[in-house]
Amino acid sequence: MRIERYDMIVIGAGPAGLSAAIEAAKCGIKPIVFDENARPGGQLFKQIHKFFGSKEHKAKMRGFNIGKELLEEAEKAGVKVVLGATVTGLFDGKEVTVRIGDTIKHVQGDSILVATGASENMVNFDGWTLPGVIGAGAAQTMMNLHHVKPGDRILMLGTGNVGLVVSYQLMQAGCEVVALVDAAPRVGGYGVHASKVARCGVPFYLSHTILRAEGDDHVTGVVIGEVGPGWKVIPGTEKHFDVDTICLAVGLSPMAQLLSMAGCQMNDTKGGYVPVIDEDGMTSIDGVFSAGDVTGIEEASSAMIEGRISGLAVAHYLGYIDDAEKQQRIEEQEKALDALRQGMFAPQNRGKKIEKTEEGIPVSENLLDKGYIADDEIARYPGVTHKKGIHPVIECTQNIPCNPCQDACKFGCISIGDNITSLPVVTEDSQCTGCGMCVASCSGQAIFLVEEDVEPGYGEVTMPYEFLPLPKKGDCGVALGRDGKVVCDAEVTKIRSAKAFDHTNLLTIKVPNDMLMKARFFKSQE
Amino acid sequence: MTDIQEVLNKIGPYEPAEDDHLLVCRCEEVTKGEIRKAVHEGMFTIEELRRYLRCGMGLCQGQTCGKLVKGIVARELGVAVTDVTPATSRAPMRPTEMEIAGNDGGEQA
Amino acid sequence: MKRIKNHPILGETPERKVVHFTFDGKDMTGYEGEPIAAALKAAGVMVHRYTAKRHEPRGIFCAIGRCTDCVMIVNGKPNIRTCITPLEEGTDVKTQYGVSAERNQ
Repeated sequence: MRIERYDMIVIGAGPAGLSAAIEAAKCGIKPIVFDENARPGGQLFKQIHKFFGSKEHKAKMRGFNIGKELLEEAEKAGVKVVLGATVTGLFDGKEVTVRIGDTIKHVQGDSILVATGASENMVNFDGWTLPGVIGAGAAQTMMNLHHVKPGDRILMLGTGNVGLVVSYQLMQAGCEVVALVDAAPRVGGYGVHASKVARCGVPFYLSHTILRAEGDDHVTGVVIGEVGPGWKVIPGTEKHFDVDTICLAVGLSPMAQLLSMAGCQMNDTKGGYVPVIDEDGMTSIDGVFSAGDVTGIEEASSAMIEGRISGLAVAHYLGYIDDAEKQQRIEEQEKALDALRQGMFAPQNRGKKIEKTEEGIPVSENLLDKGYIADDEIARYPGVTHKKGIHPVIECTQNIPCNPCQDACKFGCISIGDNITSLPVVTEDSQCTGCGMCVASCSGQAIFLVEEDVEPGYGEVTMPYEFLPLPKKGDCGVALGRDGKVVCDAEVTKIRSAKAFDHTNLLTIKVPNDMLMKARFFKSQE
Repeated sequence: MTDIQEVLNKIGPYEPAEDDHLLVCRCEEVTKGEIRKAVHEGMFTIEELRRYLRCGMGLCQGQTCGKLVKGIVARELGVAVTDVTPATSRAPMRPTEMEIAGNDGGEQA
Repeated sequence: MKRIKNHPILGETPERKVVHFTFDGKDMTGYEGEPIAAALKAAGVMVHRYTAKRHEPRGIFCAIGRCTDCVMIVNGKPNIRTCITPLEEGTDVKTQYGVSAERNQ
């Protein structure tokens, strides 16, 4: 039997695997990357929202564009990616069996990097096997890759970042999201993600669960209920929705079966069954490395850095770079990774209820319970200031590692400082020109421009807008509040689209002065 | 070594529950009740359950139900989920036709 | 309409080659290279198969080839994951009953 040999075999061409292969290739290694899918990039190409972080994390770029850059970088570095190549086993002697077409090939590596990512968790309820009950990943795959709507009326289970982001994407694809449901008592994902869904009018049902999916051959409805003590549904709290699709976003688990079968030391944790790895990503088997979600669920941005670190570690392991070079280059990456692991949602804070921001400001209870900040809570945050002329109002209320807004303003209106998780502050004396770069650059869509007295009694609110059809100047409709309820009539006075805004349009509406701090979304009157 | 009888005495007999009919393993169509009952018949590990009921042995190889089964077993045994021994991972990781598996290495056997 | 023609972020869906295929003998159209499941979904087909034991309907669940719920009989071969199998001109797709194309098994 023929066994091909490689310096480095990478399993999985997602963000971690590709990043590792790129770094290793830059050091002179010729890595081969196997991926079972028809396209490389893992889940990155389904991510159409702007990412958080800082410049070095490619913040404010949309996931699929980060994916495109990564593929270009891989090609330039000479990384060989074999698609439609399913790794079916990982054995002693760093031997891998890979199915390509109708043959199973055996390949051996001097080093192996497993970057197989994660799989979706599921929950079961009556009717969960009916066609129309799908994973959130399936929804993203259908709408963002294959341009097919997953359904017309959809209920989302799960308010973690996946549930929130996918709900928003479903609306962008033209679907109606009837409700967001979570058995947990508070929203799990970023408040800014929740807010952009809530202000479109989607109700949040926390401490609720799905009782049953209805339908004979496919989903025609769903019943939810409030969870009481002992995870039992409180009788009389049942609510029915007519839906054709139920979307499940209840977390991810590392997909570490290959590492387990290879005999790597494993650790069964709350976050899943993961390999024991050292700081460079090496497992208990010499020369077998692991990076990305397979080592524990985090963001794609972290996976890319972990991949780069492991790629450098592989280069060092194989003798392509010396100790000094390894240390120097890994240090840079670790700094970037540390920055991403800060703030309220950092891995060490998972599951904890955080009551106050780093600045000592109480976190909005409504944001955690209902997905939006109440009108009487918003004024306490440093990005929310009041001025006569046009100025930004930054409704960023949780410490997350993200700072593009600071760089977006050329006039120094916005300051975050050295600590990437600090809440943005609107500086007192700087002059806002109303250019809107901050509005478009905020990955959380949490920045608005507000101007009082544009005409007697009326002012203007400028908001990010990422839906079709795009309203036109002169369109009349209603302004919705943070809670998605109608607050007043509104007229579109300006709509701005620019390449630099990267598909985030700036919609300006005219509302009465006393509604300027309430109006946060616009709906055309049909 | 676990003393099976000791554990069985501790967890008591199988009591039917109203959600026993819920499907857990979608591929092999195994219900929650079947899994719960099996635990009370002495199947404490995922490996044993897979052989006994075939849950997690279908086309998807437990990708979907693995975590659910573990949760049910842990609850039934009154232990933490991380204390339930996970299933052994074996090749092939994805559904592979016998014809192709038989031709492993690309040479006719 | 299930097809997304224009998307606020992704723009207009690129033109693709239309191909003809059959679903349980009925003529249908889809786009070349898209997963069979996507073409069926766009045509409003929800049920891909009925299970062996309980004869329950199943359709798309994970859409990335992991869960194997969307398997159908494709060109005479059972257990084909339609969510990751590309559509071609003339592909013959059948509802799967258990592991067969016959309803009574």
